Amino acid sequence: MKMLEFFRSSAVRVAIAFVFATTVATTGIFGLVYLQIKATDQRSNRLILEDEAAKSVNQSVDELKYAFEVRLTHGLRRLDYAALYSADRKVMFGNIDELPEIPLDGKSHFVAASPVPGGVNRMEPAIFVARTRPDGTILLLGRSLLETLAFRRIVLGALATGLAPMLLLALAIGAFFARRASRRLTTIHDTIARIMKGDMNLRLPVRSQHDAIDKISRDVNLMLDEIMRLLVQIKGVSDNIAHDLRSPLAVVRAQLERGLESSDDEQLRSVARQALAHIDKAMLTVAALLRLADVEYGPKSSKFQTIDLSAICADLFEFFEPLATSKSINMALEIQSPVQSLGDGDLMREAVSNLIGNAIKFTPEGGSVRVSVTQEDGNPVVRVRDNGIGVEAAERDKIFQRFYRTASGHRVPGSGLGLSIAAAIANLHDFDLRFDDNHPGALFEMAGRRK
Amino acid sequence: MTKATPTPQTILLVEDEAGLANEIKIELERLGYLVRMASIAEAADAARVGDPAMMIMDRLVFGEDSLETLEVLRNEGVKVPVLMISALSSIDERIRGLKAGGDDYLSKPFAMAELAARVEALLRRLDDMRTTKLHAGDLEMDLIEQKVHRGGTRIDLLPREFKLLEYFLRHPGQVITRAMLLKDVWHYHFSLETNVVDVHISNLRKKIDIRGGSSLIVNIRGAGFMLNENA
Repeated sequence: MKMLEFFRSSAVRVAIAFVFATTVATTGIFGLVYLQIKATDQRSNRLILEDEAAKSVNQSVDELKYAFEVRLTHGLRRLDYAALYSADRKVMFGNIDELPEIPLDGKSHFVAASPVPGGVNRMEPAIFVARTRPDGTILLLGRSLLETLAFRRIVLGALATGLAPMLLLALAIGAFFARRASRRLTTIHDTIARIMKGDMNLRLPVRSQHDAIDKISRDVNLMLDEIMRLLVQIKGVSDNIAHDLRSPLAVVRAQLERGLESSDDEQLRSVARQALAHIDKAMLTVAALLRLADVEYGPKSSKFQTIDLSAICADLFEFFEPLATSKSINMALEIQSPVQSLGDGDLMREAVSNLIGNAIKFTPEGGSVRVSVTQEDGNPVVRVRDNGIGVEAAERDKIFQRFYRTASGHRVPGSGLGLSIAAAIANLHDFDLRFDDNHPGALFEMAGRRK
Repeated sequence: MTKATPTPQTILLVEDEAGLANEIKIELERLGYLVRMASIAEAADAARVGDPAMMIMDRLVFGEDSLETLEVLRNEGVKVPVLMISALSSIDERIRGLKAGGDDYLSKPFAMAELAARVEALLRRLDDMRTTKLHAGDLEMDLIEQKVHRGGTRIDLLPREFKLLEYFLRHPGQVITRAMLLKDVWHYHFSLETNVVDVHISNLRKKIDIRGGSSLIVNIRGAGFMLNENA
C-alpha cells in the first residue's frame, strides 16, 4: 500500500512539473516575442529619429518650422516631439519647452520621464535626438514610448488571459498522463501482489506501446517465466524424490517386516526392529519435507473458504487435552466465538496442531499450556503459550528454519520441520507466525496480517 | 492376525514395482487372501465382470495414471472397492484419488499392517449402517439414545469417546491403525508426531473396561488396535 501511495504522489509531482514547465515555456516565448518586437521597434525609431535629425541640420529655420507643423499635426514619420532651441537653449518653436538633459550628438537617448506636450501635467518615457545646427541653434526630435508601453501591457494581458486556460489544459493533460501512469503502476503492483501470494501463472499486462513501463513489465514477465520453470523443476525433483525414494523404502520396509515375522533369531529380530525404526524416522522426514514443499507450492488461496478458527482450535483442544492430562499438564482454552477467516480448514488445523503438540512436548509435568483465539482489530489471532523450557534468545531466529532443533529440544523425537510447516501454512493464509517469550516458556502467535 | 476365510477373497493388485508387489502379495496371502497381479487393462476387465473382491492400484503404473481407468469404471457403475497406493502423498493428490472413485488412499511407504488393516476395512465395508444398536460381548451401544451400557451399568462417554468406541464396534475383529482413527474419527488429514491417539484409547479403556478383566480394545503391536469381542 505504501508503494502505491508513493506512485500516486510521484504521479502528482509529474503533473505539477508538467504544469510548471508549460508555464515557464509559455512565459518564455511571450517574453522573447515581446523583447524582439520591442527591440526592433526601438531600433527603427532610433534610426528614423537620427536620420531625421541629420537631414534637418541643413534646412533653414523656416523650412524646419513648416516641416515640424506638418509632421506633428499629421504624425508623419511618427514624430511626437520636435523643437528648435536657440544657442542659449531657449525654445524658438516646437512642442516641448525645455531641452532635455541629453548630449547634442545627433544620437538617440532614452529619457525616462519627459513632460507631455500640450501643457498637461503628465510625464512619459521617450527617446530624443538633439543636434547642434551650423547656425548654433539646437534641433530636438523625439518619440514617445507610450506605444511601446501599451504594447507591453497588451502582451502581458494576452499572456495572463492565455496562460490561465493553458495552465488548466496543462494540468488536465498532466493529470491524465499521471493518472494513466499511476493506474498502470497500480495494476502492476496489484498483479505482483497476487503473484507473490502464489498465483504464479499471472503476468504483468504489456500493451503494444513500447514505453519504459512495457519494457520493464516484459522483463519482469520473462523473469517470472524463469522462476516458474525453476519451480516446476524443483517440484519435479521433489516428485521424483517422492517416487524414487518412497517406493524402494516401501519394499525395504516390507521385507524387514517379513524378516521380523519369520525369523526366530532374536539378534536378527532386534537389528530388523532398529532398522525399521530408522526407516520410519527417515520417512517421517521425507514426508514432512514433501509436505512443506506441498504447502509452499501447492494449494492456491483461490480455493479458500470461510473457516471458524474458534471451532478448529476448540476441536484440537479437545483432541490434545487427554495427552496433556496424561503428562499432568494443565490445559486451558480461551475463545471468542466465532473467529472467522478465509482459509483451508485442514491446513489451519495442521498448523495449530503443530503448535499445541510442540507446547505439550516441551512443557514438563505440572506445567500449563494455554490456547487462545481472539479477534483483535478485526484480525484473527491464535496464541499458544506454555511455561515449559522455552527457547534460548540466541535460537529464536532459527526455530522456523528447516531441520532446526534447539539444543534442549534435541532429545525430543520429531522431524524438526513442524514449525517450518506451520510457518508455511500461516504464510499461505496471510498470517504471521512469530515467537515470543512467555516468561517462562514459549508463546507462539499466529495472527492475520493487517490489511 | 491370520484369517481363516472359508473361500479366499480375490484381490487384484496393480503395481509395476516388482519388489513391492511381491511383498504385498506375500503379506496378503499370508492373511488368507488370493492375490492376482494385473495390468490396468486386465484389472478393469476383471472388475467389469465382478471377479475381484477388491483392487489395490498404484497411482502410476508403467507411466500411466490409473485414476483415468478408475473414473471410467465408476462411470460404468462398477462398485468394486479400490485402495489406491501412491508415492504422491499431497492432500490434493489424495483428494483427486478419492474423487476419481478410490475408496481409500495410502501413501508409500506404508507398514504392511496398515495396508492389511485398510484392505480388511474395505472388504467389510458393506456392513449395515442402518443398525441402531451395536454390541461387543456384554457392551451395548444405542446409537439413537447415544447411550452405552456394559452389563447393565450405564457408561458415560464424551461425544468423541462415543464416536471412537462406535468406530471399533463397527469394525469388529479388524486391525484399526492410528492413521485410520485420525482419518475417520477425528477427520484429521495430517500425520502427528505424538501419541495422542493412544492416550484417547487408554482413556476410553478406563471407562469401558471392567476392573481385573481383559481389555475390550487390545493393542496389536506394530499395527494398532482391535476390538476384542471376547472380553
